[in-house]
Amino acid sequence: MKRKIELYGRLRDAGLGSSVVVDLPSPVTARRALSILKSSFGPQSVLLKGCALATGDEVLSSSNELPAGRLALLPPVCGG
Amino acid sequence: MRRLISITKSRLDPAALSRAVSAPKHGAVASFIGIVRSPHAGRRVAAVSYDCFLPLAEKELARIAAAAERRWPARIAVAHRIGRLKVGEASVAIAAGSAHRAQACAACRFVLEEIKLRLPIWKQEHDARGAGRWLAGCALPRKRS
Repeated sequence: MKRKIELYGRLRDAGLGSSVVVDLPSPVTARRALSILKSSFGPQSVLLKGCALATGDEVLSSSNELPAGRLALLPPVCGG
Repeated sequence: MRRLISITKSRLDPAALSRAVSAPKHGAVASFIGIVRSPHAGRRVAAVSYDCFLPLAEKELARIAAAAERRWPARIAVAHRIGRLKVGEASVAIAAGSAHRAQACAACRFVLEEIKLRLPIWKQEHDARGAGRWLAGCALPRKRS
């Protein structure tokens, strides 16, 4: 199933734009989805270190299955 | 109770936050204003851009304020700016009103530290030529399975 995943922060510099569309199995855990995303990033996959998948409500744990709806890939945060 | 939370592209008004948490029973209002500075880490900074995953950030900021209000008898108001800011502009403003100074200061500090740890916002510094550099941050804490 094709899923759109929004990119934020340093991930916007990966040359992939503000989102990527990846083909993911369904159901799929966040851990497995991150592994698949690494291949989409190719040589830029180092940017995924410390990243987490999140919905508009919460950051997903590695074992969570990806829910339907909006998904984002979030690098380490730096607010304030 | 109305939440005094905002993530905005507009200029922040710290005095309004302090007024919002003021009450006859509050003998103390502690406030914090984070300001874009230059230089930083030995580099001259012309501006800073804040990127944000807004739907989660708004919920997370409300959770942080609610956690502070559960932990201390305090009222919290907090605002975070996003978009491009010049040096000298306020990026974050927090006000905590409470009966006593220790509680107000502790609650204000708590909100700031939690913002640094868990708010999905990212900071990119720009130099005078416009080149940007994303600052390192904290990996987000994940939900327990």
